Amino acid sequence: MDFIVAGFIKAIELLISGDISTWTAVWATLKVSTCSMLMSIGAGLPCGFVLGFFEFKGKKHLRTLVDTLLALPTVFVGLAVYAVISRQGPLGELGLLFTLTGIAIGQTILAFPIVTAITASTIENIDYDLKLTLVSLGAGKRHIIATCLWEVRYGILAAAVTAYGRVLTEVGISMMVGGNIKYHTRTVTTAIALETNKGLFADGIALGLVLITIAFIVNLSLSFLRKQ
Amino acid sequence: MNTKKIFISVISAVFFMVLATSAQAETKSLMMATTTSTDNTGLLEYLIPHFEKETGISLKWTATGTGKALKLGQNCDVDVLLVHAPAAEKTYIEKGYGKDRRQVMYNDFVIIGPENDPAGIKGKTISDALSTIKSKGAMFMSRGDDSGTNKKEKLLWKDARIPLPDKENWYIQTGQGMLATINVAQERKGYTMTDRGTYIKYQSQQGGNAPLKVLVEGDTILLNQYSVLTLDPGNCPTAKYDLALKFSDWMASQNAQTLIKDFKLLGEKLFIPNAK
Amino acid sequence: MTPPHPAYQLRHIQHYYGDKKVLDIQDLTIENGSITGLIGPNGSGKSTLLKILAFALRPTRGQIFYNGRPEVPFSQTIRSKVTLLTQKPYLLKRTVFENIVYGLKIRRDDNDLTNRVKKALLNVGLDYNRFAARKWHELSGGEAQRVAMAARLILKPEILLLDEPITSVDTKSAKLIRQASLNARDNWGTTLVIASHDVQWLGSISDRQLAIFNGTIFATGMENIITGPFEKTGKKTIVKALDDGQRIRLKAPAQELGSAIIRKQNITIGLEQHPDKGLDNQLSGHIVSLMLENKSGHIMATVAIHDLTLITRLSPDQISRFNLYPGKSVMLGFHSTDVEWI
Repeated sequence: MDFIVAGFIKAIELLISGDISTWTAVWATLKVSTCSMLMSIGAGLPCGFVLGFFEFKGKKHLRTLVDTLLALPTVFVGLAVYAVISRQGPLGELGLLFTLTGIAIGQTILAFPIVTAITASTIENIDYDLKLTLVSLGAGKRHIIATCLWEVRYGILAAAVTAYGRVLTEVGISMMVGGNIKYHTRTVTTAIALETNKGLFADGIALGLVLITIAFIVNLSLSFLRKQ
Repeated sequence: MNTKKIFISVISAVFFMVLATSAQAETKSLMMATTTSTDNTGLLEYLIPHFEKETGISLKWTATGTGKALKLGQNCDVDVLLVHAPAAEKTYIEKGYGKDRRQVMYNDFVIIGPENDPAGIKGKTISDALSTIKSKGAMFMSRGDDSGTNKKEKLLWKDARIPLPDKENWYIQTGQGMLATINVAQERKGYTMTDRGTYIKYQSQQGGNAPLKVLVEGDTILLNQYSVLTLDPGNCPTAKYDLALKFSDWMASQNAQTLIKDFKLLGEKLFIPNAK
Repeated sequence: MTPPHPAYQLRHIQHYYGDKKVLDIQDLTIENGSITGLIGPNGSGKSTLLKILAFALRPTRGQIFYNGRPEVPFSQTIRSKVTLLTQKPYLLKRTVFENIVYGLKIRRDDNDLTNRVKKALLNVGLDYNRFAARKWHELSGGEAQRVAMAARLILKPEILLLDEPITSVDTKSAKLIRQASLNARDNWGTTLVIASHDVQWLGSISDRQLAIFNGTIFATGMENIITGPFEKTGKKTIVKALDDGQRIRLKAPAQELGSAIIRKQNITIGLEQHPDKGLDNQLSGHIVSLMLENKSGHIMATVAIHDLTLITRLSPDQISRFNLYPGKSVMLGFHSTDVEWI
């Protein structure tokens, strides 16, 4: 039990002392998860919108598929991305293995179904009266789509927060694709895994607290956006 | 509204920075796959800055199990390997994945167990010790993760002419790292095989009064040989063979060998240089 | 100047939800500048009809003429002239101001927005300074309904369709919505169609009333509807029993049982039992309200017979002869044969 207390003290020490390896890991984590969150929103938002707004054949099956992908294991995504970006893989030429970009690709795949599913159900839950109201106020298709998206902005924000939480805390992809290279692709989660392997439980707890702090700050700034 | 704009521009700035960092041209840099033991003990962090300073080559490494490290080399995802599984390394070269194998250092493995030694293996040879553990059905923890250490352990059973007891209920495969496995052994009051480096760390964490003690040591078969492997350019034309060879040479150099000899973990020497 | 064509002409309009026919209108004409009231219980097809009139729903069959020209739903030109206020007003998650100017912005019309919003708010009895900056969730039900109304009024629509505009609002809001509707007609010649089941309120605002039931407009004017359950007593008669023991006898329909309509003009009023024994329905109740019918000079008397409300149309002469006032006990009489079944 005492390593939890020790971890708490250590966390404060690490952050205040400006420990370079901690801060590079924090920075890498922030960069890569922000990037993958944005990319997953860029891809998931239109897909979720199409899935929630329009009626088409096979929509139900597509929904089931997306909902299933919510349970994607991170190590599996890591392995799949590795297979593709390894030198022997189809995208080996790009040299993406052991880079933050590689991790971001994997995390985007991880977060994509989350954003898609949440957006789709938010759009589905739009009041029927909203569409009717917009039509009766003279809105055309373009206006209806734009206004609907703006109406569900909090739902989309929720999708972003959920996606961020998922990519911020995953370790399978970062480890497999990033390789946990110090000062380069070491993220807070892979650092925790490493410290735990080394038996330095207090350091692991400390980094875990750092991660929670990051999550807290991110959520705080997103809820600040909500107030605007 | 204004704060929102600032927020959005900060986010997009981060976004482009990620793209920018990954697009950086990498000049004279080596990527190495190695085993967790070299990284966890802090040896690489101590050694590599010297290498970078002397040669001007920057070296990044990813620490993983030997099995995965070899696989990364086979897939040309790294340029050079530092591993410890001599038998596997030889087949690796025969299959045309590896090119030059250079022994650089070794440390040793030990069998540890509870201080009261319920099976009574203290001081025995490794083969006798394992036979005793088997006949008494004493708890034995195995990594079970196909790592270099795990490979070594399997070899020991084979050498003692005991079929791998992986279906016995006294033989527990943790599937975790060395230190985690030692912790399991401590909780279950069992035996396990570990590299000395990890044991030293474990000992220091227990404040010098570790419940698990070294019971069997010193057999030649317990030696753990580390080698640098370059990749066969025939299999991996993209791998930086020349730079890898330079690293291999440097590790065998007088200077590096002395550095390895002087490396201490918690006051104890960990690796013995033996480059020829 | 009145355009030569009626605002709407509906021909053989039918609408189905799945297999269920919800609307069947053979012929309906709505004149320009008129205020039409739609009366009918929930699920009668009022909302469906309004959506079709708003060109926001394509009827399964039939044709709509708008100002004499056949029109199809979702046409951009029509949609900018017709506006519908839905039963549950949906306010966008923005400020009151943004909600009111939404329709104008779509029309790329942003002249002097502040003043126009001020006027529109004033029209529904809301103060610009107090309300313009409020968020959508900072309004009461009545205020939200009035803001939604203002968002329609600012468009100066040719057609304004209101679906149950006063069901969930306070009396003050109901009054203000009524006044705003009348103003729209008087100032801009707007044609209004208003659905409500508040018969009195509707009578106080509309020029004519259409009763709609099971998707059919069966008569014009405010008629009395008696719904089941009924008891079958003989081959030719059925009975509606009221909880207070009074019984209404009705001639059984030829086909299946639906709801019964008793026309206003078939109901007589008196203070005592009518001497005519042939008048087989004599019901005692009390007057709930008396209301002047627009234009005709007749007076609509609403009479409560226990939990049933019947309306009869009286001349001013009858009022004074019987000295009628709300609360007075009266006898209503009608023949069991004077019934239409729908």
